[in-house]
Order: sequence, then C-alpha cells, then structure tokens
Amino acid sequence: MLKTLIDAFALISTWEVIIAMVAASVYGLVIGSLPGLSATMATALLVPVTFYLSPIAAIATIVAASSMAIFSGDIPGALLRIPGTPASAAYADEAYAMTRKGQAELALGAGVWFSAVGGIAGVLSLMILAPPLAEIALSFSTFEYFWLALLGLMCATLVARSSPVKAIAGMFIGLLVACIGIENPGGVPRFTFGLTDLFGGIEPIPALVGVFAVAQVMRAMLTPEPPPLPRRKFGSIMAGQWKLTKLYHWQMTRGNIVGIIIGVLPGAGADMAAWVSYAMSKRFSKEPEKFGTGHVEGLVEAGASNNASIASGWVPSLLFGIPGDTIAAIAIGVLYMKGLNPGPTLFTEKASSMYAIYLMFIIANILMIPLGIAMIRVAAYILLAPRSAIMPIIMLCCAVGSFAIGNNMFGVVTVAAFGVIGYVMEANGYPVAAMVLGIVMGTMVEQAFVTSLIKSDGSVLPFFERPVAAILAAMAIGALLWPVMVWVWRKLKPAQAAAATSR
Amino acid sequence: MSKISRRTFAASTAAVAASAAFGFKPALAQAYPARPVTVIVPWGAGGGTDATARIVAALLEKDLGQPFNVVNRTGGSGVVGHSAIATAQPDGYTIGMLTVEISMMHWQGLTDLTPKSYTPLALMNEDPPGIQVSSSSPYKTVKELADAIKAAPPGKFKASGTGQGGIWHLALVGWMQAMGLPANQVAWVPSNGAAPAMQDLAAGGLDLTTCSVPEARAIIEAGKARSLAIMAPARNPIFKDVPTLKEAMGIDYATGAWRGIAGPKNLPPEIATKLTAALKKVYDSAEYKDFMSNRGFGTVWGDAAHFASFMDKGDAQMGEAMKAAGLSKA
Amino acid sequence: MRLPDSVTGSFLVVLGAAAAYGGWILPPVPGQPVGPNVFPLVIGCGLALCGLAIVFGIGRSFEEEEVLVPFEDGQAAASPPQEKLQGKLYGLRALLPPALLLFYVVAADRLGFIITAAIMVYVTSTALGARWKLALPLAALSPLAIHLIFGKLLRVPLPAGLLPAPW
Repeated sequence: MLKTLIDAFALISTWEVIIAMVAASVYGLVIGSLPGLSATMATALLVPVTFYLSPIAAIATIVAASSMAIFSGDIPGALLRIPGTPASAAYADEAYAMTRKGQAELALGAGVWFSAVGGIAGVLSLMILAPPLAEIALSFSTFEYFWLALLGLMCATLVARSSPVKAIAGMFIGLLVACIGIENPGGVPRFTFGLTDLFGGIEPIPALVGVFAVAQVMRAMLTPEPPPLPRRKFGSIMAGQWKLTKLYHWQMTRGNIVGIIIGVLPGAGADMAAWVSYAMSKRFSKEPEKFGTGHVEGLVEAGASNNASIASGWVPSLLFGIPGDTIAAIAIGVLYMKGLNPGPTLFTEKASSMYAIYLMFIIANILMIPLGIAMIRVAAYILLAPRSAIMPIIMLCCAVGSFAIGNNMFGVVTVAAFGVIGYVMEANGYPVAAMVLGIVMGTMVEQAFVTSLIKSDGSVLPFFERPVAAILAAMAIGALLWPVMVWVWRKLKPAQAAAATSR
Repeated sequence: MSKISRRTFAASTAAVAASAAFGFKPALAQAYPARPVTVIVPWGAGGGTDATARIVAALLEKDLGQPFNVVNRTGGSGVVGHSAIATAQPDGYTIGMLTVEISMMHWQGLTDLTPKSYTPLALMNEDPPGIQVSSSSPYKTVKELADAIKAAPPGKFKASGTGQGGIWHLALVGWMQAMGLPANQVAWVPSNGAAPAMQDLAAGGLDLTTCSVPEARAIIEAGKARSLAIMAPARNPIFKDVPTLKEAMGIDYATGAWRGIAGPKNLPPEIATKLTAALKKVYDSAEYKDFMSNRGFGTVWGDAAHFASFMDKGDAQMGEAMKAAGLSKA
Repeated sequence: MRLPDSVTGSFLVVLGAAAAYGGWILPPVPGQPVGPNVFPLVIGCGLALCGLAIVFGIGRSFEEEEVLVPFEDGQAAASPPQEKLQGKLYGLRALLPPALLLFYVVAADRLGFIITAAIMVYVTSTALGARWKLALPLAALSPLAIHLIFGKLLRVPLPAGLLPAPW
C-alpha cells in the first residue's frame, strides 16, 4: 500500500506530468469560463493532444481539464447568466441574482470552495469505497433508472421560480426535443422531417448555449445598456467561505453524499446531481422563500454535489469501462488508448497508476482554489466592460464552440434556433432551465421506460418488485403527491383552527 | 490549416481546371502527398473508431511525411461523416474511416450511400460479436443456452448490445437464422451502446448480450459476466478459452464490426495505390499491432480489391438479416 | 414578445397534439411491443394538458411574481423613453443574433472564418451602441485571437476562405 503510494508519487512527479496538469488546468478554466463553450467540448478537444503524451500525463490533462471546466462553467453563469454546463444551469439564476446584489465574489467563492471540497470528497469515496459503490452501480437495471430519471425530472418544478405548470410545460418541451432523431428504442427516424442532420438528435450542449447565451444577446439588443457598476474593489473571494462551511456543513455533506451516489450511476452524472441537490436544498431549507433571490445556501449544496459526482463517476468507468457521462466516455477512450484498460486488473496489476490517478484528482482539486481565484479575478473585469464589447465575443464563442463539437455547421444552426426558442420562452415566463433538464434527461427516461416494458413483456409489476426500484418508486410517488398533501393539509388546518375557536 | 495548404489547394484546383480544359493529366502521384491530408472519422473523439483512426493517421504521417489530421465529423448517427468522405474532392487530400454502418444504413432507408460510393483503400480491423451471459446465469455453454432458447416461446429470452437494427442486433438475428429459428425468437432490448447493455446484464435485467468481446472485456474480467462463444472463424488470442460458434455448435456463422480506410469515389489510381501500400506498412508495423491488441481489437488486413469484395459480401449479409428482422425498407 | 397566457397555452395544446399525432403515425417496429411511438404520445398529451391548464389559468395562484433583483445602484429606474418611439420594427432587432449565426453558417465556408467572424463582431458591437473606435479594433482582433486558440492550438478545422489566418 505504502509502496504503491510512493510509486504513484514517483509517476506523477515528472516535469511532463506537472506541466501537463498546470497547462490543462488553465486550459480547462479558460474554456469552461467562455460562454458558449462547454466542459465536454474542452475534454473532447484534448484527445488529439493526449495522443502525444505519456499515459499518466494524458490522464492528468483529462482529469485536470474536466474538473476545472466544470467549476468554471459557474463563472459566466454567475456574471452573465450564461451557464457553461447543464449542471450549472440549475443554479445560474441564483448565482446571477447574487451578482446583481453585489455578492459576485461570495457566489463564485462558494463555487470554487465547495467544488474543491466536493471534488476531494468524491476522490476519497473513489479511493475507499470503489468496490461497494460499484455494486450500487451494477444493481441498477432500467427499472431503477426509470424512477431515478423521473425523480430528476421532478426537480424542474422545484428549481423554477415561475408557475409550476409552466415549469412542467418547459420540461415537456425539452422531452419533446429529446424525441428527435433515430437514437430511440425503434432506431427509426422520428421528427427528423427528412433532414439527415437531425438523425443524431439535438445535443444538450448547443441547446443550452442557444437558450442561455444567444437569448441573452437577443435581450441585450432590446434593452438599454445598464449603467456601469460602480468601480468598487472586488472583495475577498475566500473570506466568507469558512463561515459558510460552518453554517451549511450539513447541506455540504448532504450535497457530497448525493453527488457521490448519483455520480456512480452511469448515465446520470454531474448534470443530474446539481439539479437534485439544488432542489433538495430548497425543499429542506429553513428559508425556502429566499431561494432564487440570491441566496447562497443552494449554491453550497449544488456545488458540493456537482464536483463530488465527477470523481465518483470514474468508479464505473475505471472498474467496468462503463462511462458515467459524456466526459467519462472520452476519458475511457483515453485510458484504453494509453494501455490503462479499465477493469479490475487496473486496480491490482496497475495499482500504482490507479493511485496516480487518485493523487492527480486531489491535486487538481487543490489547484482549483488558487487558479480558480485568479480566474475569477480576471473574469470579474467583464462586469466593468461595456456590453457592446462582451456580447460580440460571446456570439463568436457560440459559433465556434457549437461547430467544434462535431465539426458540423448544423451545431451553429441548432444554437441559433434555440436562441429564438429560449428568448420567446423566457419572455413569457417559461423557465428555459426546465427545458434543458428535459433535453438532458429525455433519452434516459424513454430508454429506461421502453426497454423496461420490453423486458417485462408489457407488465408494470417489475417497476415495483425489485427492492431498489420499490424504494425509488416510493420516493418518486411521494414527491409527486407531496404538493397535494401540503395543499390538503393547508385546507384542513384553518378548518380545524376554526373548529377549535368555535368550541 | 496553414497558409501553404490553402495556396496549394488553389493551385491544385487551378491545375484540375486546366487539365479539364486542355486535356492533360497533372502529375499528381509523384508529389503526393504535397500538403496535409484530412482523415474524416464519422464518430466522436475518444471512441474505438476514433482511436483506430488516430493510430493509423499517426503512422501514415510517419511514413508519408505529411500531417494526417483526424477530424471527427459527427452527427446523424454516422451519416454526416460518411457522406462528408463520399462528397469530398477525390484528390487524395481527404480520406476517411468507414465503419460497418455504411453497409447497414442504406437498407433502412437512412441514406443513399452504400459501400459503392467510395474508393476502398484498405480494411484494417474487424471485431466479431461474442455471446455473453451474466455470471449468475445457469447456462455454462453456448449449447445449453441455444437449447434453452429453442425450447422457450419466442420473445422469452431478452438480449441487448446496441440499438434496434444495430450491428449486434443483426448478429443475433443472423445467429438465430443459422440455427433455423425465426428472427424474433430472442427479443431485442435496444440500448444506448454496449456499455449500458453489459451493465444491465450484470444488474440482472437481460439474459444475454451479443456485443463484441473487447466491449465486454472489463465486465468479464470483473467476474460479473462470461463469454460463451464468439461468432468468428477463429478464436480471439486474448480470450483463448472462448470457443467459436463452429467449434461449440457446428454452426458456420461469422460476422463482425469492421473499420477500413477509403476515399471518395474516383480517387486517382496512382494515389489510391500509394495509400494502400502505405496502409499495408502501417498494418504490418509493430506499433499498430501492439496498439490494437492492447485495446483488444482484432486486426484484419484487406487490400483495396479485397476490401471492396468484403464490403459487398457484408452488405448482402446485412441486407438479408435486416429483411428477416423486418428492419429493411428496401 | 410578451404574449398572453391564452396564446402561449393554445400553442402548447397544438404542439402537444401535433407531437402525439406524430408519434401515433410512426410505424410499429417488428419485435417491439412498446415502440418509438409511445413516448411522443405520452409527452404530447402531457404538453397539451399543460397548455390547457395555462389557458384556463390553473396554477397561476402558485406563480411567484418575477422579482428582478436590481443592480446595487438601483438600475430598475432606468426605463428607456426614447426607444418606445422607434416603432414596431424595433422588436425585430432581437432577431439579429440568430440571423448573424445563420449568416456564419452560410458564409464561413466561402469567406473564411476571419472575415465572417469580423463581420459578426462588428455588426453585433455597433448594434449594441459601440462606436467604430471600439467596434473596429474588436472586429479586427477577436477573430484572430479565437482562431489562434481553436484553429491553431486545438486544430478545429475552421474554414480558411478568402483570407487565411497568418499562421
């Protein structure tokens, strides 16, 4: 054990690995923080580079870049209300509201601090609990995934501040968008209108970029330039964080645990973890009415959950070669390419390489704090720059970023179309974040639902028979009935009170 | 793309125009390749096809002395990238990696492209499907499994490995037909690729998967599943204990997912010959062999003529399986 | 673009019905008791129900008033009187960003990345009120910077067109 650890240290303390990690960290921070570019794209563009690196350095770049990019997706979310990842879409409104209240440094500081803490908690779970966590991952069949996805979708109504009916409608629109393409259970073209480009369906990332970034530029076209913020010194980023840690230590722990569990389930990943944790935070908060007005509590829990899930998402990837999300899928490719084939042998025969991966995760999450603070300081200048200088750059990033995902101009068309959709939805009070959640979860819901029915020959019994499925079903149905019960309770309470006084 | 590449591109288009006007052939082959070559991959970065294309491109670069840039043209479930290869200028500066889907998609009416839309250069790889069951499954040999399938009512057994109409689905259909059973004797549960299918197999949601052995490898090594047979003419050197269908059951059925390099139709023969020769060197190199065996990928060589007839044969086989499964529109 | 709830709700009813119908007419897939037609059917019905609920104002009581948190110096008061005068066409300005993106799709292959991007940047910048002193250098430099990062370092095949990048 100790010897493997020393070997692992020797593996990562070469100049190549150190330079690769720092360079990839800066790269991930910059790409993740540019509105219109995403963590997935940042990782995909690294693949050709890793081809020329030694195995450990190659993994180092992927680990560092993806961890940083996921965090720095919060930066444009907080400063411009343009979330960089589907995960940060869950709480972008909240962080932006804090910026408008003059608390940008607190919001972003919470992002970097609780991301780092969550990331380290995730790695520790990966180191200590990999085998039991893997058992959880392998006990999930499509029946369980169906309920899990349903629970994830319900978060849409909790997170949105608008009318719940409009939030559900937004989610349904997202699910409808997810129907497009031939990647459905039947493998037939559906809603493709004869367009080859639609066969692959609508990717969540260009849709996300469209409804947030392009729609934001569209709104800017119609509103006058806001008066510049008073030139004040950007306050300390880390100052309030220790206080927050003590105040919200339970929220942070809960976020870590939820993130770790959702992370190990392939297909769910960081996107869903942030949504579920933000929704849980609101549901169990002592002051839920403050959510959405620039309240840091939800950011703490979602940030802690988000990055914890990234690390634990490597459990099924490393043990079984089953990717937890799109970034893990790319990482698996790099692992194979470098001869570190996923599988239990990686933990036994190549244990020192494994420990090197753990160590790199921890280092990346520690590096995130100073580099993240520097990045936030630089990014804060965009609050001072005129809109007419920022928005054109955002447009350019949208065009290049959506093209670079598949080197396909259709991505740019998608972004433009979703800009219009997002603009119209937002103007009429339909939350676009709910639609993004629908697009992200759509394929998983349908796949889980239809394949479960095929496996059970049309019977719904197995949805409740398997033990884990039964628990999840109870949770989902409970969550569904909860608002109704609250409503009934509220109706009954005044009646009781009236009865009490009249007696 | 560099400045030089654009200039030479302009020059070469001018040369083509001139040759068309005056009727003389530019001496392309001697100089080829004079500038960077683009290698189109119809699938995303980090996948198996991407990895194979990148190692081939890196070795071609070493041999021919010009950069071979891999470009992932994704979208349309592979249609977009495949059509980008087919519609490129046939000047040798855009080639690409074809995958087995090119012999399947046109049967479903998804595209007009067929293997005939290309100038085949070389077949580089083929991976046969295996037959995997969960480690808790009662079936120890493929014979036991096949007998149980035969005895059960149609649709009782559930299999997965990829989406509906995907290569591993057709492999299952082909196996059923080879045993004289109807195509729907085993119900196909569509999945989003081999990894989720293997996970569901381990979770107890499926009876068998028919994905390729390298895709199943990690779960098998984790002791959560076992491979009963492979649908190939010979055993896989990495899994020496897994018999072929012919050895285990006497059924002569083999298929597989393959990858090869091709250019757009009407590639000048001098360039095609040069590329095929370079690809042969790549195929024979230790780097390529090591890389592929490390990932568990099978290596199969076919020169231009062999690759063409290989694709024709595969195309007909796929068409038959698709018709049997009711998936074909043609 | 603020439309009455009855209009957006009705649109959702139509969209939902269309989706359900679109799912309905999908041919069944052999060997699949539950095919690709089920999900659009369910979603279409759900969407149509939501639309109906919105038309009839159900659930509006839950609606929290959208509280726009003002900037700390109180930007809420800044309402633009002069822009109301510019008439109905003013609203069409919002379509400029998607139009520019489509322009990029059409023009990038012919004009090349640098020129197309410079036009996009210049138009967006001036439309947002920048003077040429800001817009021109921005249009000249930002495409080069983006090209350096993506085209050069990350090898994204950005089209060269008429004016290739100087590297």
